[in-house]
Amino acid sequence: MNGGSEIASYLIVLLFLVSLLMNFTDIPQRIQLHRFSSFVRRKLYTLEEMEVDARRKAIAYMSSTGIKEPSKVLEGFMDNFFLIRPVDMEPTDIIKRFKHLIRVRESSVRDYVRRVLSGAERSVQYSVETVLEIVSVMRLLNKLIRHYLELGLKYNNWILVMQLAIQMPELVEIAKAYRNSLDAFTSGIPIGDSVGPLVAKMLVNWKEPIREISEGTDLYETEVEGRKVYVIKASGPGSNVGWPGEALEKLVEELGGAIDRIITVDAALKLESEESGEVAFGTGAAIGDIGPEKIAMERIASKYSIPLDAVVVKMSEVEALSPLTKKIYEGVVRSYEVVRKIIIEKVRDGGVAVVVGVGNTVGVK
Amino acid sequence: MMLLQLDALMTALLIALFLLLLTTLLPWLISVTSSKSKVVKEELVELVGCPKCGYESSRKYEKGDYVGKVVGTCPKDSNSLIVKAIYVEKHTYAQ
Repeated sequence: MNGGSEIASYLIVLLFLVSLLMNFTDIPQRIQLHRFSSFVRRKLYTLEEMEVDARRKAIAYMSSTGIKEPSKVLEGFMDNFFLIRPVDMEPTDIIKRFKHLIRVRESSVRDYVRRVLSGAERSVQYSVETVLEIVSVMRLLNKLIRHYLELGLKYNNWILVMQLAIQMPELVEIAKAYRNSLDAFTSGIPIGDSVGPLVAKMLVNWKEPIREISEGTDLYETEVEGRKVYVIKASGPGSNVGWPGEALEKLVEELGGAIDRIITVDAALKLESEESGEVAFGTGAAIGDIGPEKIAMERIASKYSIPLDAVVVKMSEVEALSPLTKKIYEGVVRSYEVVRKIIIEKVRDGGVAVVVGVGNTVGVK
Repeated sequence: MMLLQLDALMTALLIALFLLLLTTLLPWLISVTSSKSKVVKEELVELVGCPKCGYESSRKYEKGDYVGKVVGTCPKDSNSLIVKAIYVEKHTYAQ
């Protein structure tokens, strides 16, 4: 035998041993666990840097609004003001209970901000609330990722760590969107989710509201080709979503149900195969609410048998939180045309329609 | 003859090793070659216009502006000129 054949024999034995180790032991899983956990750790460092950056921006913004000791205010907010979902095993009046809890939480947050921000106008107060919520969400995201990572390592659950590693790029994108949205909220620039209020404002030709119909929610009145149109949107230009369901309920009751059509406009999450800014229409309440506001719209529409239309502008979750792009603004213009078309074609001449511009009205008065 | 067979075995092992390395490095190679590179420049633009006569023009965003803010008078009919939209315009350049 010569030298070459000896090396070949060694290699065959080595391959055989390696194949044995890789197929009949849990060494590959250990290696994968190590690889995936170090990947998650690296991404987690990036996320923690983003959180620090977000805190820095939030503190700078709060200082600019005149809040004394903003870092204390931030710390006092983080990890507090959580909401325990109501019992759903017994669903009777769950919406009423949920709505009550949401209102109580919101009023606690509002009081907390009002205490540290005495004398500031309401739009600034709304923006401070949003900034605190964003930093709090980023902290929660990081804590959850660290929790699952440590749980996976503690019990050698490589599947858990692998799932986490696979989801990390998406989670990092969402965290980036939250961090970038801070710039929009602190500067008062419209975001992707502001498409509903923008369409509402276009419909009323940028006029002022006639009154505040619910807390933080304005009512406008206009006319489209001989049809009377009531328009509801959150009060701007601070970061605010208002109470569109409650406002619609009040308006319809005030008018005794004499409404021919209700049209809701909102941003909707696109599928990966869809283009940002695409406009679609359908039936139902276009609102990304967790329950109470959406059901209020559905209930009042069905109580008086009023047709309920939905017009949506498609975008990704990241775009919904980031400053409005030109592509999505073009979608806003198209959805405005769609809403006008629905009013002209489906509401009789001299009839009444209500348009609800759903979404965050940051940067849109 | 035996020598020839062993050499063939050695060659096969080397090919296998090469293929293994290639499949390991392929994702990295693809990512390095495909990210050749475009520079995206973002600019914040606002659309100002007159709700009465329909006059519109775009300009650079000014801090403190919001949609619905009155920012001057219309050059055509002297009515209020308001901010109609604020959005990000992306310009892509090849590096």
